[in-house]
Amino acid sequence: MSNKIGVFVCHCGINISQTVDVKKLVDYAKILDGVAVSKDYKYMCSDVGANLIKDSIKKHKLEGVVIACCSPRMHEHTFRGVVEDGGINAFNLEIANIREQCSWAHTDKQRATEKAKALVRSAVAKAKLLEPLEKSKIKVTPKALVIGGGIAGIQSALDLAEEGHKVYLVEKSPTLGGRMAQLDKTFPTLDCSGCILTPKMMEAANHPNIELLTYSEVVGIEGSIGNYTVKIKKKARFVDLDKCTGCGDCADACRMKGHVPSDFDENMGKRSAIYMPFPQAVPLKCTVDPNYCLMLTKGKCGTGPLCVQACQAGAIDFKQKDEELQVKVGAIIVTTGYDLMDPESVYELGYSKSADVITSLQMERLINSSGPTAGEILRPSTGEKPKSLTYILCVGSRDETENPWCCRIGCMSALKQMYLLKEKLGDDIELNICYIDIRSFGKGYEEFYRKIRGININFFHGKPSEVRLTNDYLSIDIFDKTTNKLFEIKTDMVVLVPALVPRADSDEITKILRISRGTDGFLLEAHPKLKPVDTATNGIFIAGCCQAPKDIQDTVAQASAAAARAANILSKKELEAEPQVSYVDEDLCSGCGTCIMVCPYSAIELLKEKDGKSHAKVNEALCMGCGACVAACPSGAMQQRGFKDKQLMPMIDETV
Amino acid sequence: MKKFALYPGCVMPTEQYAYEMSIREILPKLDVELVDIKDFSCCGEPIKSVNQMLTLTLSARNIAIAEKENLDIFAPCPMCHLALSEAKRVLDTEPEMKQRVNEKLADEGLKYNGSSNLLSILDLLYNVVGIEKIKKAVKKPLENVKTATHYGCHLIRPSEIGRSDDSENPQKIEEILKIIGMKPAYYSEKLDCCGGLLTANLPESALAKTGQKLQRVQEQGFDCFVDTCPWCHRQYDSKQTKAGETVAAKLEMPVYYLTQVIGLSMGISSDKLGLDLNLSPVDKLSLGGKET
Repeated sequence: MSNKIGVFVCHCGINISQTVDVKKLVDYAKILDGVAVSKDYKYMCSDVGANLIKDSIKKHKLEGVVIACCSPRMHEHTFRGVVEDGGINAFNLEIANIREQCSWAHTDKQRATEKAKALVRSAVAKAKLLEPLEKSKIKVTPKALVIGGGIAGIQSALDLAEEGHKVYLVEKSPTLGGRMAQLDKTFPTLDCSGCILTPKMMEAANHPNIELLTYSEVVGIEGSIGNYTVKIKKKARFVDLDKCTGCGDCADACRMKGHVPSDFDENMGKRSAIYMPFPQAVPLKCTVDPNYCLMLTKGKCGTGPLCVQACQAGAIDFKQKDEELQVKVGAIIVTTGYDLMDPESVYELGYSKSADVITSLQMERLINSSGPTAGEILRPSTGEKPKSLTYILCVGSRDETENPWCCRIGCMSALKQMYLLKEKLGDDIELNICYIDIRSFGKGYEEFYRKIRGININFFHGKPSEVRLTNDYLSIDIFDKTTNKLFEIKTDMVVLVPALVPRADSDEITKILRISRGTDGFLLEAHPKLKPVDTATNGIFIAGCCQAPKDIQDTVAQASAAAARAANILSKKELEAEPQVSYVDEDLCSGCGTCIMVCPYSAIELLKEKDGKSHAKVNEALCMGCGACVAACPSGAMQQRGFKDKQLMPMIDETV
Repeated sequence: MKKFALYPGCVMPTEQYAYEMSIREILPKLDVELVDIKDFSCCGEPIKSVNQMLTLTLSARNIAIAEKENLDIFAPCPMCHLALSEAKRVLDTEPEMKQRVNEKLADEGLKYNGSSNLLSILDLLYNVVGIEKIKKAVKKPLENVKTATHYGCHLIRPSEIGRSDDSENPQKIEEILKIIGMKPAYYSEKLDCCGGLLTANLPESALAKTGQKLQRVQEQGFDCFVDTCPWCHRQYDSKQTKAGETVAAKLEMPVYYLTQVIGLSMGISSDKLGLDLNLSPVDKLSLGGKET
């Protein structure tokens, strides 16, 4: 028990002092049992304030410190350093939160002062019982895992690799590139998406520090920050990557050629059962689709697989099996991207009723010169050039019955596509767009929008309630808010711009990684403003559209940010572990396992002893100090350092 | 035999007798017993824009009467069904409103508890009777009749309070029609308004809405038109000739209540189903064959 406590009260400018009588509080603290000195200052977190604390510690030989100020979430970390510089253990510090929990919450000065006194009194009671704690050291594996090989994952992997860290880049599809590879041109600069993406894909593939694991999935993770063990499943491609030259002869020979819906082309075209998603795929190797290959589904393919006959390199191997490998990494970046909402759920817009109603991503494939129509815009139902096209924005976005959020790319991608359509189909093509608002917020976006408004396109300010089918055209009634008139649009094709939604399998990956998702289903950042790429689990970072919808610019910026955050860990030889974690009093523990059930970080395990009894054991590297196990433990065997029952109970005695 | 209190509303027993006749004819044959209750009053819907509290109280009163008899309510008129359903939602979720309404009902010795369920014609046929039982009752399938369905607005909207079918892609009437042999087909005007509620203020526009829809149905080669709402039926059946004039078209579309075509498929004679009360040219098709 230390009896030399110093109390330091902060005015926080007038944030505290206008509601709490600081002078009275300081005088009150002086007479508390065990308090050797009590002082106040206008800004305790300033240099002067810090020196006041340090000097007082030395002058009065203090053994513990109470600082009455803002929330410990703000400055506890700062003040621990100050206390340590003063010469005592950093954990002999207790914060009394008299700002958020007192001065900001109340108006009556007299009663607020009384409450502040109680808060200080209880903090002093705890400070007297605090024990010095030592931070333990954790060795760091200087390698990283990046999950998802879209533009975000490629950027993160390249940044880390350039810093000299080994990176495992895992991609579940057969090629790098992600959504950006499906796009034709990017807004607002109209750069060819492939032309700016493929050099980065090549760079990632050839970088000596990057190990590319395409057609692979993360299936398990153990360990914690600095030391993860990751299980990765390499799915069988049925093609030997070393032998395949990427010539594509097998795809031409395949019996299923032209019969398999191409997922890369958003089902707008057909491919073979052995395929390369697109001509610039990385790695430039073929993959056998196990759902369509006759050898793999039926066990035989005519008189013998034609692909094997066609392959001069002898690369096709139907005996290949899935492989599992294990890697050790120190940090993880998740860049798993997004899905488009299936517009079928907005039934009235006709996506399931007419082939001429397509999504904006399907249109992207039609525009692209390596797409299913070689870049020709053809109406799916007739195969002829359309004379009129109509865009409907915010399909399932900004819609409380579907997704309340804005997709952030829909307006700009529609404007971009309409510009490209005018180029491709000539000025005769009639283009209509139905919008709620045009959101052109990024750099150069508004200028692009102005340019589009200057060309011959009909803008209708409103959202159509229905797309109607007639024998030879689609019809839309639209009430235009700008002119206050009802228009009927007769059009050949409708392009829906659907909401961006979390990946269908994002639940699986969050369970494997033990990270959280928000109510919208996207992966959750640790703090929306100040920790936008961290997760609540130390050592795991997120970037790109798996966190929330965003454009390519923001995705790349975020990917670099996540790489920088991960490098913070990887560049250290060892990390300091927070000592305020749980531990078990083995004599009291009955081994009931309640703590294991409540632990959100899987940090507790049950150990069997020789005599058959068992007890809980905390992996201190995994423990985040949330205290859930302590509250749940029926016998009081589970305790948290810095928050022991015997330290907390006196606080309650002093306040109640 | 399942028992329900029949809530007739105002339109059905004062002018749309055919609906009531066909309901009273087919439901007992599908193991549904209808109980008549004397004290039912107006559902309140027509005065909602003037006095919401009175609407709520009237609806609550009707439900309370059925509760006293321990019966669920079957309201064939979708507008009544909506009024009662909206009231039930308010009373079941807002204790304060429930108390205020019950204070008024106490004058008559009534109390709203929330124990009675409210069923529309579609709830009753599709959920209570069920497709299987209807299928077994069919004696004369109405084969090769290309049919346009009309749900009306009250039966399927607003979806937030739970209605009888999907508000954008309702299919239950189609499923029932298929079971009795008819050929319901998609048409893009399926969810268009009948115009009926415009009648008081804009009678011309009301008829134009009716005419436009029937004209499109006729153009697309449908043999007949099936609905479930007495308000809609009044537009499409009773006022068909006048509606045709507004769009300069000669409309000759047989319009039936869903309950009438089910009855015909069950082999019930057309006079028992009130078919002679339909003003549209239902004689054009000899559905159900000659009277037996």
